[in-house]
Amino acid sequence: MARAKRGFKARRRRNRIREFAKGYRGGRATLWKAMVETVRHAWRFATWHRRERKRDFRRLWIIRINAAAREIGTTYSQFIHALTQANIRIDRKILADLAISDPAGFKAIATQAGIKAQA
Amino acid sequence: MATPIPSTYLKNFEKAQAERKWHVIDVAGLTLGRAATQIATLLRGKHKPDYTPNVDSGDFVVVLNAQKVHLTGKKLDDKMYYKHTLYLGGLKSRPAREMLGTRSDEVIRRAVWGMLPKGPLGRVIIKKLKIYSGTDHPHSAQQPSKHTLKTMRG
Repeated sequence: MARAKRGFKARRRRNRIREFAKGYRGGRATLWKAMVETVRHAWRFATWHRRERKRDFRRLWIIRINAAAREIGTTYSQFIHALTQANIRIDRKILADLAISDPAGFKAIATQAGIKAQA
Repeated sequence: MATPIPSTYLKNFEKAQAERKWHVIDVAGLTLGRAATQIATLLRGKHKPDYTPNVDSGDFVVVLNAQKVHLTGKKLDDKMYYKHTLYLGGLKSRPAREMLGTRSDEVIRRAVWGMLPKGPLGRVIIKKLKIYSGTDHPHSAQQPSKHTLKTMRG
């Protein structure tokens, strides 16, 4: 069997970290220990934030639906309640999109759900 | 063919800027904090269905009659406004009554600032707030629309 030297793999492993650490500030991009810590933290944060992204967007949709709901004289909570009661199952992502791209359609949904839209 | 599911729309800076409106709000007799909440909402743009948190998507707000804003309870004398001159022992304090007399704009601005995000974007947003102690303002060229706040109890 061909001889495998340790250095080859070790260099590959370190170079992978070095590649990720490019563009960091100061010693974090050049000093080995700071580099490893920063990169590992960055990977953890990236995982967390991929999970959080789903929640962030849901929050944004709710804010937007609320704004659209208030324009027709109701509120987010009343709007969603009415939709649940009327068994209209449109998720918040689509509702928020309708609020922007098709205000009339949004209003129609509200009417369908039994909300008396104003203005 | 099925229509593609839309990804969430994010407004860009140019569009947000182009859509900016001007509102005039007369706060005479309105409770400070309750007026500030609604002013802050307009400034941030949370009243628009295409609100985008990372751009300044709000409108301009012109506040009139800042001097006549209402404070509940004993706050005219009890609510203190602080600033530090950076000299030793340079902490100055003034009660709301005095502030309303001389710097009524600062009373409104601080109340609204407390309700805005603290950061680079918040500092940009607060600049769209124009406050005047009387009923005159120099923004008629912007054709502001009169905005009446929802009055709430208290």
